[in-house]
Amino acid sequence: MTNPTPGSLPYTDTKPVGSADFYFAINSTFRFILGRLGRNGWIRYLTDLGTGYYAPVNTQWQQGGLPAVAAYWRAFFAAEPGGEVEIKELPDRVELHVKVCPLIKHLRAHGRVPVKEFCQHCYHLGTARAGAAGLTMRLCGGDGSCVHTFALPAAQLPAQDRNQIKENLQ
Amino acid sequence: MIGCYDFCGHYEWTFGWFERVGGHPLVRAYWDEAINLDSQSHARDLIKADGIPGMLKYWGHTLLEESPDLGFHISHREDVFRIDFHQCPSRGFLLRNDLKNYSDYCDHCMGWTGPMMKECGFQIDHEHNHRGQCWWEIRPAGTPGGHAPVGSVSGDKDARLLPNWLAPGAKLDRYTKANDPDDKTP
Repeated sequence: MTNPTPGSLPYTDTKPVGSADFYFAINSTFRFILGRLGRNGWIRYLTDLGTGYYAPVNTQWQQGGLPAVAAYWRAFFAAEPGGEVEIKELPDRVELHVKVCPLIKHLRAHGRVPVKEFCQHCYHLGTARAGAAGLTMRLCGGDGSCVHTFALPAAQLPAQDRNQIKENLQ
Repeated sequence: MIGCYDFCGHYEWTFGWFERVGGHPLVRAYWDEAINLDSQSHARDLIKADGIPGMLKYWGHTLLEESPDLGFHISHREDVFRIDFHQCPSRGFLLRNDLKNYSDYCDHCMGWTGPMMKECGFQIDHEHNHRGQCWWEIRPAGTPGGHAPVGSVSGDKDARLLPNWLAPGAKLDRYTKANDPDDKTP
């Protein structure tokens, strides 16, 4: 089997779609860090992950601009099982309209309870990655459906309203 | 969003982050508390209830999802459950993508399965070569003896028969009747 999305994902596997049970481990990792290191430790983890592990993506975005952002997210969601996402390319931003979040869907379907901060991870991680690429990121919604916006600085997006990111039902 | 497609990449990166933040004890605690006791609680439930048939149910499903190309082989008898990995999907992902943020990724398997098997009343014989090939034999705790002879449980599927088992760059870590990720002998 060949790489299903050449050039858009920095790390590629031989299978076209990931194994959804790994979503359990992502949620458990968050629960562990929140319990051991607190909320600030968790945010530090996500920020370090965003600027460290995802550095090749950030470089792609920095060099390729918004088309590279859109191409990445199309390839990303094509490789995640069970989601329903529409990606809109506008002149100054890319919007990800997540109608069904594959992660929340799989956790709920298997009786796993996401940590209440779960959906905030997209904001902290996304902000770190966007910042490294010279972009801004905003998030609205959560707990199964949301909108991510990755924008050029010229878009002058209003500051993130943290109240617009839903906590996950417990 | 963090995805499952490249899970093994950010999972391995996370081990290195824990090591830098809290040292080896935090890495061990992560494997046990987050992976064994939380994420993989379904594995523990199955194995605690059914023993070796439970292992077959768990790994039969999980490995088919992770490795549809069947880079592994499962053997089982009443007294032993064995997996031979010829192409570990997880380690293979890291090798192909040249990812390394932690000293020894392969330790994570014993890091979570070791404590789980201890709780379920089993011990593990195991070797890995850090190149995506390894074998596991799981027997009830207290079973005497050391490593079984090559081929005696899985026949010609025994990973130790692979031509590249001891290829240049391969370094064996060995566990004997173990449940602790630090109980390895090089």
